[in-house]
Amino acid sequence: MQIITKNIFCKEEELTLTNQRVFYWKRKETLVLSDLHIGKSAHFRKHGIPIPDNVLKKDLNRLKQLIIYFNPKTVIVVGDLFHAEFNSDIETFKIWILEFKNINFELIIGNHDRLSADLYMDLNIKIYRPNKIEDNLCFVHDNIKIDENYFTVSGHTHPGVLIKGKAKQKIKLPCFQVTNNQLILPAFSLFTGLNTSNCPENCINYAFTDAAIFIL
Amino acid sequence: MSGFKNSEGYKIIENWMAKDGHEPFSFQFKTWQRYHNGYSGMVVAPTGFGKTFSVFLAVVIDYMNNPKQYKKGLKLIWVSPLRSLAKDLAKAMNEAVDSIGLDWTVEVRNGDTPQKDRRRQERLMPDVLLTTPETMHLLFSQKNNSRWFKNVKCVAVDEWHELLGSKRGVLTELLIARILALSPKLRIWGITATIGNLEQAKEVLIPYKKNKTTTIRAKEKKKIDIVSVLPDEVEVLPWAGHLGKTMASKIVPIIYENETTLIFTNTRNQSELWYQIILDHDPDLAGQIAIHHGSIDKVSRNWIEENISLGNLKTVVCTSSLDLGVDFKPVDCVIQIGSPKGIARFMQRAGRSGHSPYERSKIYFVPTNSIQLLEASAIKEAVKTNAIESREPMVLTYDVMVQFLVTLAVGEGFKAENTFKMIKQVHAFHYITEEDFNWAINFITQGGNTLNAYEEFHKVVLGDDNLYKVKSRRISMLHRMNIGVIVSDAMLMVKFMSGGYIGMVEEYFITKLKPGMSFILGGRVLELIMVKDMSVLVKRSKAKKAITPSWMGGRLPLTSYLSHFLRLKLNDALQPGTREKELKFLHPLLARQDKTSHIPKANEFLIELLETKDGFHLFMYPFEGRLVHEVIAALIAYRLGKIKPLTFTIAMNDYGFELLSDQPIPLDESNVKSILSRHNLIEDVTASINAAEMASRKFRDIAVVAGLVVQSQPGSRKNNKSLQSSSGLIFRVLDENEPNNLLLRQAYTEVFNQQLEEVRMQAAFKRIEKSEIIIKRAKSFTPLSFPIKVDRLRSTISNEDIGKRIARIQEQVFKLD
Repeated sequence: MQIITKNIFCKEEELTLTNQRVFYWKRKETLVLSDLHIGKSAHFRKHGIPIPDNVLKKDLNRLKQLIIYFNPKTVIVVGDLFHAEFNSDIETFKIWILEFKNINFELIIGNHDRLSADLYMDLNIKIYRPNKIEDNLCFVHDNIKIDENYFTVSGHTHPGVLIKGKAKQKIKLPCFQVTNNQLILPAFSLFTGLNTSNCPENCINYAFTDAAIFIL
Repeated sequence: MSGFKNSEGYKIIENWMAKDGHEPFSFQFKTWQRYHNGYSGMVVAPTGFGKTFSVFLAVVIDYMNNPKQYKKGLKLIWVSPLRSLAKDLAKAMNEAVDSIGLDWTVEVRNGDTPQKDRRRQERLMPDVLLTTPETMHLLFSQKNNSRWFKNVKCVAVDEWHELLGSKRGVLTELLIARILALSPKLRIWGITATIGNLEQAKEVLIPYKKNKTTTIRAKEKKKIDIVSVLPDEVEVLPWAGHLGKTMASKIVPIIYENETTLIFTNTRNQSELWYQIILDHDPDLAGQIAIHHGSIDKVSRNWIEENISLGNLKTVVCTSSLDLGVDFKPVDCVIQIGSPKGIARFMQRAGRSGHSPYERSKIYFVPTNSIQLLEASAIKEAVKTNAIESREPMVLTYDVMVQFLVTLAVGEGFKAENTFKMIKQVHAFHYITEEDFNWAINFITQGGNTLNAYEEFHKVVLGDDNLYKVKSRRISMLHRMNIGVIVSDAMLMVKFMSGGYIGMVEEYFITKLKPGMSFILGGRVLELIMVKDMSVLVKRSKAKKAITPSWMGGRLPLTSYLSHFLRLKLNDALQPGTREKELKFLHPLLARQDKTSHIPKANEFLIELLETKDGFHLFMYPFEGRLVHEVIAALIAYRLGKIKPLTFTIAMNDYGFELLSDQPIPLDESNVKSILSRHNLIEDVTASINAAEMASRKFRDIAVVAGLVVQSQPGSRKNNKSLQSSSGLIFRVLDENEPNNLLLRQAYTEVFNQQLEEVRMQAAFKRIEKSEIIIKRAKSFTPLSFPIKVDRLRSTISNEDIGKRIARIQEQVFKLD
């Protein structure tokens, strides 16, 4: 796995975007990501749709490598940590998270996170609803209302961008969408689709591939 | 022989017909007689000669001759491809039964049947059930369903040529296998129009050795008059669909000259457009013109069908939704708008007019671009020489088998050994191995590979009684919703705010609209208010201009037969025979092609190179039909990419294809022979199919049929949002994690079998190899290349590094969406 980074400034805060669907806030030693959708593949399996369980393992493995790379104190998930009901994928996650006892896991509750509060306690994940404010940044799942006093960090939309070039070429890539007062994170899980029709006004797209980040 | 003639049953029918002054056609008599002697078989007859009564009365006669052999309940299952057929057939059969004086009930069961009728049928099945393949499979998913089928004497498959060649055909083969297993003395009869491979069609339907089979051909023939409608002048750059408005003035007089006219278009989108065009041209037709296609509310469709029968409508604009059907007696004229795509289809459509025996069928051909007149000329030639294409049956469709196994498991459960034997008898699965079958069992019980079962996957469970069954009610429900093999994009119901249902559009189309925008459906201009649950709420709009929805699919490829005739016509295009009015008319266009480029003769292969502000274009004209062109295009792109990394977008039509690149294309006289060579053909094709993501597109249908993607139900409140995913996503996940998945393999082989038809491909390249290759460097688009250039559906093939591509696009002017 190749980790490519790109530093940007948002309300005087320096954030390190990566091509692995997370950004790192160095000053606070915080890793930020969104839309992990743990339990999605097991939810499908439970309903008779055979999705391999490797899907989750690969996502968690990627997150582990990012944690090793940045060595954060805190990991914030801005919503949709879990996809649906309690299932075997969550058991897998329970074991996985034990490896990182010294890291604070925090979750902004998203529309998919409908499991009971006891579970988060059990997992030692601190939950926030509807948002968490830290210095200049406001972490929220869906950016329906933006508080102009803060720089908003959200997820939920699974942003992507469609690039059209000469000779009618088209390329679709996942991206971070950044404006002067907000940032939308790409979905972390690879078992998710892309939404290319939801771009905020005046936004810069930081699109990425396995080997590079592109400013579009 | 005389035994049958003297049988009581035959005498009753003979007298019954004689009362109305009729006597049986000889093919009808033959069918009855063969049926009487225990045969299964196939009846080949054109519409309008009472083919229904050939098989139906055969069963009636047999019943009257041997009433004691028939038990209560279902006796005859009549399977037909279209729902709309069933209603009128049932009416005709009921009338016959009544006037003969039998106490039989004939009933319809399909997706349109009300709940209470279905419940009643489940308590007591009628004697004759008219149904569709999908509905039969739905019956198999019910508890204790085998009791209904134990005494069935005959399964008749109507319009078998329509089912053969599709996965619905495989559903039909499977349903027959199961009924035969429950009722071993079953007789199987098919009814078909003429196709190229009649013997094979019979073997696919009745592969069982214990059934004696026969083929009965009607001698009666339909006479067809084909008239091309010529525009006022030739446009030398034929823009697809562009001819619309000017042709309306030619169509309206034809409508008035005739009693009732059916206007066939090739897509639903086209039918909406032409409905507007004709109505705009002659507003007096309001109230006498209607529009009929598969996405229009069934109540309106039924109303339209009734009013055609009653002669209340002057004309109906329709799609293949009215290709088949019972006699619409008043119809005396048919207009085909746009390329007819195939000989059999064209003749079938022509046959919708002049429905009574011995009446002539009249069909007008209206081109949507002038070059289509070439096709008219080719069709006439084909009809004259009676060359009709074959329908190739599909084989080893694992998705359909997986669906069938789960259907059985939802119903009564199944035993592996018996079911394997049953499935292996079916034509589609003759070559299935035990290993493949076991894979399918693993797939539905454990999710994937044998070694480690997927966590929490318990779709089908093996019980102590050795029966594979579905235990979860929710899985059963999801499966029943998904039964069938017709895959469409998620459909939304369109309703008026005030109530009242108009029809359906694809979700994809609606997501592009904002509230307040207008679109056309069922000939009405509607304003979008909002989308709620799976419904689109609208009100009437006064807007003059509105968007017409496009429904995906529905792009029929040209058949190989027709393309063969097309090449011949082009060959003598510049010296048309005296009676070839189409070719004579096209002369200016052909002359321009000849002047700016070249007209390929039968022994030539034309390539055009062109540079425009869009980039570098390469056009080739194999005249092999759209599907084969897609594969050849990917192959050529792949081979050119080996010379230098390139990205192409591909467009094609039935005549040729275009490769468009932002970089110069490394093709010239020196390497063209090797680019078009037969050497390593199949290996290169395989590699290019992987590169061009064609398999991933095929997987779209496979994923739905095999239950990997849950289809949302139009109008339903439950949209199963938490289970939504795309086939593309699942294809990627499986490709990465389960590369041996048989359904993935099927996606690749389907590209092979259906699209490239290896034999046809080899033949095409052999022909190209023998041809003289002519490379022309054009200064602008030619009459042949222009229609390809304006085609909007494009796919991409690339062997370049994605990073390099993006970087180059960034240097050029680019646009974000």
